Amino acid sequence: MKIHNLPLPDFSRKSFLIVEDYEGMRGILRDLLGRAGATRIDFAASGDSALTMLEKTRYDAVLCDLHLGQGKNGQQVLEEARLRQLLAPHGVWLMISAEKSSEMVMGTAETRPDDYLVKPISETLLFIRLRRQMDKKQVLAPIEQAMRDHEYLKAMRLVNQLLATPSAYTWDMKRLKAELALQSGDLEQARAVFEDALGQRDLPWARLGLARILFQDNQLEQARQHLLRITGGSRAYLDAHDWLARTLESLGDLDGAQKALEHALSLSPHVAARQSSLGEVAARRGDLETAARAYRRGIELARNSRNASVEPYLSLARVLLARGESGEAAEVIGRLGVDMKHDSNAQFLARVMEIPIRLNSGGEQAARQLLAELAPSLRHDAHRLPPELAFDLAGPLLQLGDRETLDAVFTNLLANHHEHPDYANRVRALYAEAGREEEGVKLVEEATRSALDIMDRGVSLSRAGKLDEALTLLREACHKLPGNPRLLLNHAYLLITHMEQHGRDLHLVYEALECIKTARRSAPHDKRVGELLAKLEQVGA
Amino acid sequence: MADSMSDANLATAPDKMTDFPNPVNAEPGMSMSHFLVSSVHDMKNSLAVMADFLETALAQAADPATPLYRQASQALYETRRINDHLIQLLALYKIEQDFYPFDPREQNLADLALDALSRVANLAQSRGISLEYECPDNLHAWFDYELIVGVLVQALHNALHYTRDRVLCLIAADPRGGISIRVEDNGPGFPDFLLRQGASHQREISFETGSTGLGLYFASVVAGLHRGGERHGSTRLENEGPLGGGCFVLELP
Repeated sequence: MKIHNLPLPDFSRKSFLIVEDYEGMRGILRDLLGRAGATRIDFAASGDSALTMLEKTRYDAVLCDLHLGQGKNGQQVLEEARLRQLLAPHGVWLMISAEKSSEMVMGTAETRPDDYLVKPISETLLFIRLRRQMDKKQVLAPIEQAMRDHEYLKAMRLVNQLLATPSAYTWDMKRLKAELALQSGDLEQARAVFEDALGQRDLPWARLGLARILFQDNQLEQARQHLLRITGGSRAYLDAHDWLARTLESLGDLDGAQKALEHALSLSPHVAARQSSLGEVAARRGDLETAARAYRRGIELARNSRNASVEPYLSLARVLLARGESGEAAEVIGRLGVDMKHDSNAQFLARVMEIPIRLNSGGEQAARQLLAELAPSLRHDAHRLPPELAFDLAGPLLQLGDRETLDAVFTNLLANHHEHPDYANRVRALYAEAGREEEGVKLVEEATRSALDIMDRGVSLSRAGKLDEALTLLREACHKLPGNPRLLLNHAYLLITHMEQHGRDLHLVYEALECIKTARRSAPHDKRVGELLAKLEQVGA
Repeated sequence: MADSMSDANLATAPDKMTDFPNPVNAEPGMSMSHFLVSSVHDMKNSLAVMADFLETALAQAADPATPLYRQASQALYETRRINDHLIQLLALYKIEQDFYPFDPREQNLADLALDALSRVANLAQSRGISLEYECPDNLHAWFDYELIVGVLVQALHNALHYTRDRVLCLIAADPRGGISIRVEDNGPGFPDFLLRQGASHQREISFETGSTGLGLYFASVVAGLHRGGERHGSTRLENEGPLGGGCFVLELP
């Protein structure tokens, strides 16, 4: 067969977005698409302007360079676009890069582009890949829509239907099936797919999937073995390094965890979450210098993006205080106030952190004044404090003699995290050190019991057929203890039970979904999350 | 440019240097390997731009029979050959430093053939060489696309240089499982010393022929990375194939 005279694809009815900071390359891509009849082509020279375009138009295909100079890179744009659902279910995302990178290869369905092209791009390959991906996404669009609606069981049914006949997408389907099984808490099914894949080939993504399941199943040693096989084969699989670090940290090997993160960062230093993980591990090891550096980089990377969060600022300030650098800690908190000036919760937490900072720099009077101002909110809104900030506050509250706030803060903390043995131990130790050992023991017991009591009362009310009362009780408790995944999931369970008896109700579906999503944030690996999502999908359907 | 798919307009804008391996625990900064790798990147991009210019010039030239045309065609071959080598050096560096993100996927082989042949079509045309492929439409195999297309393009460049007037790429399922890719020509065939060395990794640099052995070494490393069960990929050279010239064979499990 000769390669001349091949028919060009017809892109005359398709819309394209080209995201590329280099003007020359924008022209080349436009000309290539133009040769296939494309006329609806938009351009963006930066990640931010790409997102603005994506807000307005649902493109058939996005051609995006991974490296966009200053600002967001292509990977961040893709993740944000997926998170904000700015892409059509059938829309194709082609990542273009000078080099093959780990992000394009590993990752999950949410973070992976549909396909990638490594430069130099030939016209032939661009057309082949675009056509194949457009065909594939047409077939997969209903699955994508189901996933967006959190209907994982429906998505799974569709995947299984498609898998019944062999096609060019079989392996895409299998990988998707495993991810869906993980989402709906069906670890066994996910495991079967990964093991089947590994039986065919030593595929890094399948081995990583298997390791994640073992991690969730608390088979840490086996997870470690699989992860080492991936990271030993190539340093390029960054996700595997992140999971190795997580696994080693759980196994108590902090040195190893830090090394794994540093390896990943040596190849790809521009990931805010990875810098924060390094900060945490280094701080736990007492390597405050590394911790401070990592937090600083994480803050810089996330600034002004949707990933910006209060935590790394607070952590950095904490590390600096531990090093006796209260002046610098004050600066960091000052910057937090500026960087997140529109976030009232961030403003509140910044002011709370100022109490230990002022006290450390000898400003006892100023600290006392600030505490007097904040104490009512602290007692009333204790659930807004991240746990570590509560512990930062413990010393100052004791020193300034505000026992009432101290008790309120830790009662709420323990009720919010009643299954966290570490927090209970730390609180008991803290009270013991302050000469209030018995009170500490009592506080821990009461706080834990209060959380359990609410759940027990909810169960007995619902058993007694008073489901409405049970719902009211748990709804109120969830409001006060939004960090307690068990409570949130129990509430979701009751909501689902209610709908099983009285029929599907969109308000309750939405409420249950919020509970489950909030619980997933603090307990991302809880198997019940997926199980309840599946139940919620089925109820009254 | 000439006709439809003979697109050597490989889109070659200067690309931005990306994932860079810094020594672990060191501040991101400069080192000799940094300069080596970034320079190779830079040279590769410049050569690709030069090759595009040459292809455009050749496509617009009035008379292919002039010495100037033949020299430009020769320059195009040399430019592409060096470009192949730089791409191979970069990939080998990453593989040997353990940071190449090897990504085997099940992929269509006709797509691969079409892409590889389109990348060398202008060179073939400028030399009046007939370039063809045979591959079943629905044949798939597991492979890392960028590595394998690199091996195939290099083999095609080599065949286009040594052939008389025909180059054929044959892709077929192997009855023992896996697939075989053959690049055949009707030139004088490979010299004996190359056939003897075969696919061996330890290859002496031949100053007489000017061959560094890089292309074959790259091909054998890449083939070896592809594993399926107990088997792994391999390369070999043969003479006297169906076209009567040399034949480069790549087998993947």
